[in-house]
Amino acid sequence: MQYDEEVDVVIVGSGAAGSVFAAKLAQFGKRVTVLESGPAWTENDLYSSPMWARRLRGASPQLDEKGKHHIYARLNSGRGTGGAALHHYAVWPRFQVEDFKRKSLTGTGLDWPIEYNDLRPAYDAVQEEVGISGDAKAEVWRPPGAPYPLPPLHVFKQGEKIASGFERLELRVSPIPIAVLSRPYHGRNACVYDGWCDAGCPIGALANPLAIYLAEATKNGALVQADSHVTRILMDKSGKRATGVEYKDKGNETRIQPAKVVIVAASTVETIRTLLNSTTEQHPTGLGNSSGLLGHYLMAHPAVVAYGLFDEDIQNYLGASGGQLYSQDKTAKAEKAHAARGRRHWEIALALKPVDIQGLAISRPELFGSDLEQFMQRAARGLAAMTALSEDEPIKGNRIVLSSKKDKYGMRLAEVHYNISPNGLALYEQSKKDGAQIYQAAGAKETWTGPLHAQHIAGGTIMGSDPKQSVTDAFGRLHDVANVIIGGGSVFTTLSHANSTYTIHAIAWRSSKYLADNWSGITK
Amino acid sequence: MEQDRREFFKTSGLGLLAFSVGGASLLMTAAEARAKNVPLKVLTADEARTLEALGETLHAGAGEAGLVHFIDQQLSIEPDDCMSLVKYFVNDPPFVDFYRAGVSSLNAYSKARFRLFFADLKGSDRVELVKSIVRDNPKEWPFPPPAPLFYMVLRNDTTDVLYGTIDGFRRLGVPYMPHIVPPEMW
Repeated sequence: MQYDEEVDVVIVGSGAAGSVFAAKLAQFGKRVTVLESGPAWTENDLYSSPMWARRLRGASPQLDEKGKHHIYARLNSGRGTGGAALHHYAVWPRFQVEDFKRKSLTGTGLDWPIEYNDLRPAYDAVQEEVGISGDAKAEVWRPPGAPYPLPPLHVFKQGEKIASGFERLELRVSPIPIAVLSRPYHGRNACVYDGWCDAGCPIGALANPLAIYLAEATKNGALVQADSHVTRILMDKSGKRATGVEYKDKGNETRIQPAKVVIVAASTVETIRTLLNSTTEQHPTGLGNSSGLLGHYLMAHPAVVAYGLFDEDIQNYLGASGGQLYSQDKTAKAEKAHAARGRRHWEIALALKPVDIQGLAISRPELFGSDLEQFMQRAARGLAAMTALSEDEPIKGNRIVLSSKKDKYGMRLAEVHYNISPNGLALYEQSKKDGAQIYQAAGAKETWTGPLHAQHIAGGTIMGSDPKQSVTDAFGRLHDVANVIIGGGSVFTTLSHANSTYTIHAIAWRSSKYLADNWSGITK
Repeated sequence: MEQDRREFFKTSGLGLLAFSVGGASLLMTAAEARAKNVPLKVLTADEARTLEALGETLHAGAGEAGLVHFIDQQLSIEPDDCMSLVKYFVNDPPFVDFYRAGVSSLNAYSKARFRLFFADLKGSDRVELVKSIVRDNPKEWPFPPPAPLFYMVLRNDTTDVLYGTIDGFRRLGVPYMPHIVPPEMW
């Protein structure tokens, strides 16, 4: 076993949260090492190919899934520097004011230990650093905040076509809030609308960590070390303070990285698994688990893609993968059915490729033979797509525990118990009906929906004020261990309908500042 | 039209892959590897025969485009690097176990229904069999993976081979618009 030189901060994971922590803490003068389990990618590795893009997701995490619904962990995870944010679609709406006070307002779910206004400065700061395109005024559902620094992305024929359906039903649409540059910004290039977001954006138009926060971290002196898989967090004899992490290097040698502060930001599943595997005499059921809630309140967005097939060429290959337009309005029927039961939104006019998870072929999985060929020819010209994301409620029984199976390092795998909340399922069902109605209003010849799937895994180390009812405090710090901070969606107390990545950035930004401002207290 | 399509499949394929021939590593397309009868690294001849027959049923031309050599090549590399969609939907690598079990079940199901292996069925029987596994797991399908999952993965491999390349895009009239063209070696 070899020991590395002690650093101020070791960060487990280089994705959305880890990269922000690294950039900010290095900027604040801290000596930072980021340990990334996967390979080191550069922009030159981001080949424009639907198949090559799949290297950005690995064959892990391996899971035992016991619940009724899948969490699609591999689709929602990343492999290598940048993590899942390297291939994410950058739809960046903010969580809403009500999301933070769900229990107080509705009597169901949980309350966060913070309010929207606590996070608003971080949202504004990240937005300025990253560059979000959109139209704050037109986005009437948006909570208060600084206007977007960039004008909206261009709307192509597919967007116009679907928007006409919304308009006929008197539903509002706005430009999509998206962390893709409509104009050059801070030395980065503007989007050229070729729809390769899923393959990673090598021109830096999309806010992936390679383009922004990992680059900033490195510039500020942080070390980003790939092929370094953290197996557990190490504690001192008292069990009160973390002393660093144990990891396997590229040669499968065990190494120790001592650090004054440990930040775990390894994706929801892997963060929870790492904590559960970090048992000691004082923490026999996992680190940060005195409440017994570590791994609980697992959430994910119930999601569905609605398709419409038009006769004309709607240029569905143009734009960003995340879409061109956005709406939170519901049809009258849906509003009546679900006014009190949560929100959802549409990401409208997704850029499509012939194959892959957002491809023409997978939209009609039942077709094969000559039917498939005929469909592909039609779809290449006239297929339109939009995604509905719905809220999921925090349910205690949805959880990750340790499996009896082990990974190649001898650490126990995650066992997932997940059933989408009844309300999440109801919202999904209503989205299917709304989608058909909207396409019919737009003049589509055929309309259908894809399968229910889960996007953006969250929860499991939820924030809260009460250490008996939550795992982390308002800054993502473990209640049980003062110098271990959690980054990423696992700290979410509730899961808004809004996509997660912007809020992950904002929380990491806020927690970084807190850590720097309170460094001596946290590390003494 | 049919002639054009056949010609296309002979000349397009997936770009070049590294195939081991007589101890040397040669670059060729999956279609070329198939045409030259390059030895498979992972799949057996019987498994290859079944997969090719299934691929041809899912989309004519998949065999000539090198579907079997593509799958074989993806199964021969580290699971993390695998470019088949199998990686997203099957929990436990090595993924060859998935294909192997699926082929066995397909043949067992085919024997139960028609008393023949899948590759020996006439075209209309193959189509009937595939139709019956698109959404359902027939009671004669003996063991995992579930029939619809096996169908889905093989169908995705087939569409990848036929439509996932620069030539595949072109054939559909979809501009490829690459930032970085994929490298020659897969």
